[in-house]
Amino acid sequence: MNSIRLDNTLPNVFLARQDVQSDIWRKQVTLEKGRTYLVEASSGTGKSSLCSFIIGFRHDYDGNILFDSQNSRELRTADWTKLRQSHISMLFQELRLFPELTAMENVEIKNSLTCFKKRKEIEEWFEALGIADKMESPVRLMSFGQQQRVAMIRALVQPFDYLLADEPISHLDEANSRAMADIMMAEARRQGAGIIITSIGKHMDLPYDKTLCL
Amino acid sequence: MRLVWKLLRRHISLPQLAGFFLANLLGMVIVLMSLQFYRDVKPIFSEEDGFIRPDYLILSKRISSLGAIGLGSTKTFSQRDIDELASQPFAKRVGAFTASQYKVSCSMGIEGLAQIGTEMFFESVPDAFVDVDLTKWHFSPEDGVVPIILPKTYLAIYNFGFAQSQNLPKLSEGVIGMVEMTISMRGNGLNEYIKGRVIGFSSRLNTILAPESFVRWSNERYAPDAEDEPSRIILEVSNPADDAIVHYINEKGYEMEDDKLDAGRMTFFLRLVAGIVMLVGLLISLLSFYILMLSIYLLVEKNTEKMRTLLLIGYSPAKVALPYQLLTIGMNAAVLLLAVGGLCILRSLYMQRLWSVFPQISEESILPAIVLGFVLFVIVSLANAAIIRRRINIIWKN
Repeated sequence: MNSIRLDNTLPNVFLARQDVQSDIWRKQVTLEKGRTYLVEASSGTGKSSLCSFIIGFRHDYDGNILFDSQNSRELRTADWTKLRQSHISMLFQELRLFPELTAMENVEIKNSLTCFKKRKEIEEWFEALGIADKMESPVRLMSFGQQQRVAMIRALVQPFDYLLADEPISHLDEANSRAMADIMMAEARRQGAGIIITSIGKHMDLPYDKTLCL
Repeated sequence: MRLVWKLLRRHISLPQLAGFFLANLLGMVIVLMSLQFYRDVKPIFSEEDGFIRPDYLILSKRISSLGAIGLGSTKTFSQRDIDELASQPFAKRVGAFTASQYKVSCSMGIEGLAQIGTEMFFESVPDAFVDVDLTKWHFSPEDGVVPIILPKTYLAIYNFGFAQSQNLPKLSEGVIGMVEMTISMRGNGLNEYIKGRVIGFSSRLNTILAPESFVRWSNERYAPDAEDEPSRIILEVSNPADDAIVHYINEKGYEMEDDKLDAGRMTFFLRLVAGIVMLVGLLISLLSFYILMLSIYLLVEKNTEKMRTLLLIGYSPAKVALPYQLLTIGMNAAVLLLAVGGLCILRSLYMQRLWSVFPQISEESILPAIVLGFVLFVIVSLANAAIIRRRINIIWKN
């Protein structure tokens, strides 16, 4: 997949509003593969909705979202599954980790599906993000910041054309968000992928190609 | 798969699954048992005769008190009666009995023992109705030997009545076969002798049966002018338990010669009872299926969020559904195995009793019961799998 095009897209809940001021809603926006985007937003402007629309979790929007020239509304279940496995990876704002599994198992459950990374590489990421000692701990016993890092590793153990990160560093300190940014950029570059990061204030320090205001 | 199972096994309710398991097992055992019991017991009601197949019925006209003194309606079957009977939907083939129209007497003696002589008669049915090797069931005037099938009751009368009181040896069927009978036939100014050989005994036929070719030949020879409208007919039906047969026979005032219809009715009732029991078993199985589905619904409900996340990180609905599908299929398979095991044990218990009362019944295969169990297993498992998949699809859509 080489482009994601938002064609006059607007969440249904905003349909009644006349005063939508946005770089994305009701606009023609093309997000290209290999480029890095920052989507800045205040609360309640539909940031997480945008991510849900792109990943196919929700469809309550007006307008269209096109992957290359394919309208996402025409995708079938098998197409979405393939898309989530090997084209778009998502780091959820609410993380969506499994509390009863350990940190490593949370990553493994994805990696066993894609068979994309070796265990050694995964361990190196745990090391680099400073949570190597938590690998075998149940994720429910970890802090939100630690869980964010686990969720990031899980997002990276798959092939992707786009990495969609919804507020990835909301609970991280400077050093850890730097480490996370480095790992993310390295993997995205290696795969030639695009990065779309949303933020409501504090944002990752990356060489953004474009910043869009939601 | 291991991790997915670790996730999704949370909230599995063992008491609910145990409830399903036991109920399903009970239902399955009842279903298999009713089929097997029916198959095991049926031969007792439909004991086969060596010479006359079980789906043959023998009909005669009812003899009224007026008929007995020569008044009233005729006792023989006209060609019209026969044609009408043959056109009934339950009738496959109709054959007429042909009786000897001349005087016959027979004497038989075992070497060194008293001669037994008696007046008698012959009857024949078309050869196709007699289930015996046609090389044995054959007559030609040159041979001079007539094969004969006697009613089994004759042997019983001789052995238990006559032989006992006259201090004669009891005879087995095998020995009788070696005895030669001398048959004297008188009529049309002739008095001739011919040899007879008993080739077997029938418990279904109350007559002395000879090949049709012999009876026709002898009637022509000794009673060329006699009328021969048959007084009895043999009827092959597709299903002896068919109600339509009884209706027709009653309506026409015919009589059934032997207990075949009773056996047919018994078989019908046996089938009815087995059917009802099987229905109860199926009902229990259906209820247990319902318990399982409720349990799975609850499980899916409690684990919905986890399943949604699995779908969002790239798991296909089929992969998410698989653990629960395997769980149900595994349980169904275990139920099937245990039910077949239970069937074998229960069956060995009642078969011992049956054998002690009816030593002649042969052992039926349990394969049909196993096949039925397997078919149920496949149907239930497919239904389980489809319903679980539908639940996951609902999660996908919401």
